[in-house]
Amino acid sequence: MATDPSALGAPDPDGLDAIRLTWNALPRSKLEASKCVIPLAACISPLRSNPNVVSLPYPPLRCKQPCLAILNPFSQVDFNAKIWICPICYSRNHFPPHYQSISEERIPGELYSACTTVEYSPYESNPAAMPVPPPPVFLFVIDTCVIEEELEFVKSAMRQAIGLIPDNALVGLITFGTQVHLHELGFADLTKIFVFRGTKEITKEQILDQLGLSGRNMGPMGPRGPHPQVNGFNHPSGAVNRFLLPASECEYTLNTLLDDLQTDQWPVEAGNRSIRCTGVALSVAAGLLGACMPGTGARIIALLGGPCTEGPGMIVSKDLSEPVRSHKDLAKDAAPHFQKAVKFYDALAKQLVSQGHVLDLFASALDQVGIAEMKVVVERTGGLVVLSESFGHAVFKDSFKRIFDVGENALGLSFNGTLEVNCSKDLKIQGVIGPCTSLEKKGVLCAESVVGEGNTTAWKLCGLDRSTSLTVFFDVSPSERSSQPAHANPHAYVQFVTSYQNPEGQLKIRITTICRNWVESSVTEELVQGFDQETAAVVLARYISLKMEMEEEFDATRWIDRSLIRLCSRFGDYRKDDPASFNLHSNFSLFPQFMFNLRRSQFVQVFNNSPDETAFFRMILNRETVTNSVAMIQPSLIAYSFSAPPTPVLLDVAAIAADRILLLDAYFSVVIFHGLTVAQWRNMGYHNQPEHQAFAQLLQAPQEEAQIIIKGRFPVPRLVVCDQHGSQARFLLAKLNPSATYTTAHEVAPGSDIIFTDDVSFQVFSEHLQRLAVQS
Amino acid sequence: MAPPSGPPGVTPSMIRAPPSQLGQTPLPGSPLSNAPPYIAPPPGRPMGAPAPYMANPNPNPNPNPVSQPPQAGPPAAAAQPNPVMGLAASLQNSMIGTPASQSFASRPFPSTAQRPVSVPFSGSLNQNPLGSKGSGPFPGQPASQPYPGPPALASQPVRGPPQLFPGQIVGQPPMGQPPMGQPPMGQPPMGQLHMGQPQMGLGPMGPPSMAAPPMGAPPMGSAAAPFSGSAWQGQQRQGGMLAPVRMAPAGMGQQSMVSTPGAVMGYSPHAGAQVGTPSKIDPNQIPRPVPSSNSSVVYFETRQGSVVSPPPPATSDFIVRDTGNCSPRLMRCTMNQIPCNGEILTQSCMPLALMVQPFALPHPSEEPIQLVDFGEMGPVRCVRCKAYINPFMRFIDQGRRFVCNLCGFCNDTPRDYICNLGPDMRRRDADERPELCRGTVEFVATKEFMVREPMPAVYFFLVDVSMNAVGTGATAAACSAISQAISDIPEGPQTMVGIATFDSTIHFYNLKRSQQQPVMLIVPDVEDVYTPLQTDLIVPLGECREALEQLLESIPSMYQTNKIADSAFGAAIKAGFLALKPTGGKLLVFQSVLPSLGIGSLSSREAEGRTNVSNADKEPHKLLQPADKTLKTMAVEFAEYQVCIDVFLMTQTYVDIASISVVPSTTGGQIYYYYPFSAVSDPAKLYNDLRWNLSRPQGFEAVMRVRCSQGLQVQEYSGNFCKRVPTDIDLPAIDSDKTIMVTFKHDDKFQEGAECGFQCAILYTTVHGQRRIRVMNLSLPCTTVLGNLFRSADLDSQFSCFLKKAANGIPTTPLTQVREQIVNHCINILGSYRKFCASISSSGQLILPEALKLLPLYTLALIKSVGLRNDGRLDDRSYWASHVASISASLAVPLVYPRLISIHDLTSMEEGDSVLPAPVALSSEYLSDEGVFLLENGEDALIYVGGMVNPEILQKLFGSPSLEGVPSQLVLQQFDNDLSKKFNEVINEIRRQRCSYLRLRLCKKGEPSGMCFHSYMVEDKAPGSLSYVEFLVHVHRQIQIQTKSN
Repeated sequence: MATDPSALGAPDPDGLDAIRLTWNALPRSKLEASKCVIPLAACISPLRSNPNVVSLPYPPLRCKQPCLAILNPFSQVDFNAKIWICPICYSRNHFPPHYQSISEERIPGELYSACTTVEYSPYESNPAAMPVPPPPVFLFVIDTCVIEEELEFVKSAMRQAIGLIPDNALVGLITFGTQVHLHELGFADLTKIFVFRGTKEITKEQILDQLGLSGRNMGPMGPRGPHPQVNGFNHPSGAVNRFLLPASECEYTLNTLLDDLQTDQWPVEAGNRSIRCTGVALSVAAGLLGACMPGTGARIIALLGGPCTEGPGMIVSKDLSEPVRSHKDLAKDAAPHFQKAVKFYDALAKQLVSQGHVLDLFASALDQVGIAEMKVVVERTGGLVVLSESFGHAVFKDSFKRIFDVGENALGLSFNGTLEVNCSKDLKIQGVIGPCTSLEKKGVLCAESVVGEGNTTAWKLCGLDRSTSLTVFFDVSPSERSSQPAHANPHAYVQFVTSYQNPEGQLKIRITTICRNWVESSVTEELVQGFDQETAAVVLARYISLKMEMEEEFDATRWIDRSLIRLCSRFGDYRKDDPASFNLHSNFSLFPQFMFNLRRSQFVQVFNNSPDETAFFRMILNRETVTNSVAMIQPSLIAYSFSAPPTPVLLDVAAIAADRILLLDAYFSVVIFHGLTVAQWRNMGYHNQPEHQAFAQLLQAPQEEAQIIIKGRFPVPRLVVCDQHGSQARFLLAKLNPSATYTTAHEVAPGSDIIFTDDVSFQVFSEHLQRLAVQS
Repeated sequence: MAPPSGPPGVTPSMIRAPPSQLGQTPLPGSPLSNAPPYIAPPPGRPMGAPAPYMANPNPNPNPNPVSQPPQAGPPAAAAQPNPVMGLAASLQNSMIGTPASQSFASRPFPSTAQRPVSVPFSGSLNQNPLGSKGSGPFPGQPASQPYPGPPALASQPVRGPPQLFPGQIVGQPPMGQPPMGQPPMGQPPMGQLHMGQPQMGLGPMGPPSMAAPPMGAPPMGSAAAPFSGSAWQGQQRQGGMLAPVRMAPAGMGQQSMVSTPGAVMGYSPHAGAQVGTPSKIDPNQIPRPVPSSNSSVVYFETRQGSVVSPPPPATSDFIVRDTGNCSPRLMRCTMNQIPCNGEILTQSCMPLALMVQPFALPHPSEEPIQLVDFGEMGPVRCVRCKAYINPFMRFIDQGRRFVCNLCGFCNDTPRDYICNLGPDMRRRDADERPELCRGTVEFVATKEFMVREPMPAVYFFLVDVSMNAVGTGATAAACSAISQAISDIPEGPQTMVGIATFDSTIHFYNLKRSQQQPVMLIVPDVEDVYTPLQTDLIVPLGECREALEQLLESIPSMYQTNKIADSAFGAAIKAGFLALKPTGGKLLVFQSVLPSLGIGSLSSREAEGRTNVSNADKEPHKLLQPADKTLKTMAVEFAEYQVCIDVFLMTQTYVDIASISVVPSTTGGQIYYYYPFSAVSDPAKLYNDLRWNLSRPQGFEAVMRVRCSQGLQVQEYSGNFCKRVPTDIDLPAIDSDKTIMVTFKHDDKFQEGAECGFQCAILYTTVHGQRRIRVMNLSLPCTTVLGNLFRSADLDSQFSCFLKKAANGIPTTPLTQVREQIVNHCINILGSYRKFCASISSSGQLILPEALKLLPLYTLALIKSVGLRNDGRLDDRSYWASHVASISASLAVPLVYPRLISIHDLTSMEEGDSVLPAPVALSSEYLSDEGVFLLENGEDALIYVGGMVNPEILQKLFGSPSLEGVPSQLVLQQFDNDLSKKFNEVINEIRRQRCSYLRLRLCKKGEPSGMCFHSYMVEDKAPGSLSYVEFLVHVHRQIQIQTKSN
């Protein structure tokens, strides 16, 4: 998504290709690669908008089977023979007839050397062949087991959304509590609701049967027979119109329904949670979409107000005496419903992926709602997830609105994406971390070891947007022949092919081809030059998160420490056993700090958070750009004072001063922290006095900055405005390096602050690192 | 049997509230009385259009309204010159006129009054005296002498002049008098006319009767007892006076003799062909039911001290005074004396059973059942057998202890209940305490009779809206019927309603919402159903009346284009049940097609049976069994939660009633069958059926148990109920139309002269949510004399018993076998009589016990009935069987042996005659080609039009001089002419009598419809079945064989 404010003015670190590798120079051998400690990985943002990307109105040209790589600037072209050589597999391909007119003077866009990234619009040159773009589908799934007040918030958010939805978009509504209510919007006579029970798992076929959509019960009304496939998607037939209506037609009905919508009417026994059948509700939604619109871009937008307490997907029993599972329970395997729920949602994810549909979660509750279990669905389908405390909270309200925004700030929600990766055969693909699902397209390019969604060279991205980011892990695995210098090709190529339907429903194919150099094992310098420490930190964070989820007993902190030590030993400049001599190249200099903060971050220190929060944080971490992800690991801190223009300051408790305002951007939250004096002045109302204009401006500046941050970010971060020594100040203090704690209180500069913690400070951490790195 | 007035009278509210209060508070029953329960369909108003029905200034409601009652009596009386009359008349007045008027006057229902029309004739009771005196020829009625052990020979000659004759039947007493006359009197000892008088004096009877037609006038016994065997018209006219040709030498007190031609003429019994000489028998002489003139009411006292009189025939018009035994309407035994031991019973071959109809409609002139409140203590009961206190418990020891009449245990009287005994050893307060002097009382149930708060009256409607239902107009008819019927339900705070529709899914409606529209909630899972709401599906009627009416109006149009042909009946009732589960209640289902989907779905077995002929031929009766156990299992669960299901089948196809009927029959409900459904003629009936269903006297969440004296034990209950424990039956709902048969067997002996007590206790909740125990007691003398058993046999009950047993057998036994069993049963009874009670008479004579002399006729009718005919449709047969299972004794006979009356000559009836003309025997001989006839069996009414009917008559009756174009499913209209008016009156009177809005069908001679009509002419010979005369010959022959073989 959009641009990170901190990067404003600076050149886009992601560049035209929006691809960042941990190592931009590749170690030649497996051994060398393992010595590099940080895995070779690429963070890609396939839909990142960039005005410089060339759009080509014809379909791409592919290499022959099995390579299928696409013609790109790195191909060698023989203009006379009309032949091109694929840089990845070295195959020679004849240009097809319509390329016959190319010459050195007349070369197509995809061969321009600057056009490492191009976008094809295959139908643009031949609009007649293009299918009518299917309308987007929004199926709202609303939890009614909430208090009246929350429901009112939901209603007002929904009303607003209905006003924003494009007229042609199809809209459906499901409400649920103890039971699932599917509203038949196309029924004019009275409010008609299909009711499904919350206790029973229900298959897609059953749903179709019961809704009369399967053709079995249709009688003469509509023998649907085999779905009429029109270029991969179904035209909404008559039956569909019962449940999914163009927004323009059902606006009135929807508004009436919302007006009449009540909280769940089933009684809640004392000492019990509401009975809430989120699992079945989502099943029904998925089933309905499957029946109506397989293959089109449809999103299930679920608004959840609490945990699923009944039926499939249940995460906690309705008995209040049973608490919702914590990390501790999960670690001890003491969460009785967890595995079952995950299994259910896993199946749901498979169904949605096969249909190409997306699940978005908007969870607004003080307690957990089960995001940890539902994570699999959201992540596999590329859905959005927003976590807030209340439907009345700005985090929900603004985020929800953003989905329907158009123009500058639009999320650019696209559908039905697939990602294919082609690469030189000395590279193998281990897998992908991010919002996607393996398409299980196995091949020679698949590495033996798997990271994330692996064992494939193609992935499905049901939903993706401008900020969607994926991390592709590579394994260096040179063949015997290629490792011999004589045959060595100095370049490695990787091509990313992303096809998708843009928000308007048009098919697009974006191709990015990158070329990097192999580095002979001995030349450390080149490796160092090619190191991207930000990307490395982010990749490591994602990798660790995954390992923490997948591997029991995985000690993340220890793993980070050892990796860091090994990295420093390998690339540091020092004399053996002399910590004082330790020095790091500037390309590495920030890395220890990143690791220090990663160790302390919500991604590693999960016990401060609920499993839902952790799942939420990790999902966002996995799908965000490198720049944004870095902010999650190591927040940025800007100081505002009279004495100087806004300046980035160290993320350290020492940055606190009585006459300063600090702006912390920790990605999920944005904190404006007023120093003691500033707060006092403000409380006395100086900023309202004309003679203290400057003070008013000082107060205003961080606010404006915060708004810019908030505006460009999804999910909308939580804005915390606090004063020194106030209770909300913890949002800042928790992120700061505890260079001053209660043990060092006497050394603290006046006006600054201390942090009550036993955590080590970065200084101590560095000392230890240096000592261990230089150990022989 | 006066439906219109009946219901209100019986309503429990009556029991509680003094009349004055009644007038003020609208009670459920009361509206009924204002509007007639059965309302003629408005002419030319095919369907829908509720209002007209109600508004229709109905002709029938009360032709003679309120004003009539008091006068009614006197005039008749006045007409009679007899001075004695004067007295009688006044007496009568005081009894009927006055008290009645007192009690009625304040009641809101005028219609009751109308009954009294018959009052004047009540005098005819006294035909006894008449008979005895006037009918000189048979002076003493010694026969009636207290049934002395061996039938007094002496008496024989006198009274039962069995006449023998070739080809002539001996009716018994030519005089109208005896057999039946007697019962009505309630004075068993015939001879004691004088006794009777005084006794009667208490009642109205006495004198007025004198007024009765002079002498041997036809009515005689008949007046009192429509079906009494004694005097049948033919005989009276022809041989009425004809002396007993040959006295049967022997013969019990009462018997009929038929000599078969064969026997008499010396035919040997072997030749079947010889049956072909029926001409030798005068068909006019064979036993036939005596036409009830309907004009006279019989007064019946259930006991006089220790004397128990046999009750009047169930089909007759009578007024009961409960003097210790309960009204025969409530409990009726197959024999009015109980055999002392099992051997005698076995010998008699007769069944020993009670027909229990706990909520039977009383005659409007009868005293309401009294309510007794024992307060906290609860009703006094026997400690051992838990029998309720009743008039037959004997108090001893200065009242400090009492002996249970059922188990003989000696209980301590609760201290608060002790009362000293009088010289007659009765408690001094016995006459003030209903429970000590009445056969039937109701006790207020205490907490210990409740497992929960008594349930409210809850009605849930389920309407089929599948394609066929909508297409045939069934949906519209159901909605309109519900809408109208609902407007008649009073808005008690306790009355709740709900509604759902269904096709392949189930659609509930939330009526509670304040919003303008109800919400439709669809339950699509028909394999495993659930309710879509916890509350609000069932809403107090007062809160949703408007919304409901609106909804009912829009349902037909809402589903007008429904293309879903499937119907998930089983799932729908399950869903309805779930909605009712918390409270219990009545589920009324309107179904139109074979349930084809979801739980309990059925297949078209009929068609399968047809295609797979060999199978069907082998065991056709299998198709009359439920297809599987699913519905039964569901029904048992429904019953457990006090949900009663009535099913209205409005169909034009096979719907597998055999399977469906399990649900209502297990839950205390019933099936209504409209086949082939006609959107023109059936809505009126549907509405009236539904209205009666909702408004008739009824109770909910009932448990019933019958106890009897030691010596007997209950063998089996049969009827519509659910049985979960051996001793009790559960009745989620019980109403005035339902009868339960209870059979008994001996497990010990009685002493001669002892009495056997029966006590039926039914614990139920009134429609107003009060918990009650209705206790009915019957104590009958025991006898060791077989003759007494035959003399006291009750034809109606015995025939009901036959009928029900036959119906029970239908699903499990091949038809031929069922018929054979019935005939054999009949032969065995008659054979037993012949063998043990009339052995002296010549074997050439067929001698029938007087009380059972119509048994052969009814048996013949039974084997020719819809249920046992070979050519019946499966559904018709199943429906018949399920209908019969709960049928009352008073409707059992008419169902099988319908009433046939001529219509074309209605106008020639004299003023003052009863509304209904005398019925005609069911023989084609009585049909004339110029005539129009009406045949009714309490369910259907067939109008038969001969081939040469005067077009004028047709014009008058049907508004058209020819029947071209008049549909066979007739909507009766009233035209402005006498004949039409009379005809309408007749129909309405019948409707009232039968508590049933008949389905009218027009049968034209020479068309299939005419053939159908002829199938009811049970006395005719038909292919594969015997004529009445032939049947008698057959029976006689079999008896002869039996006797010989012994």
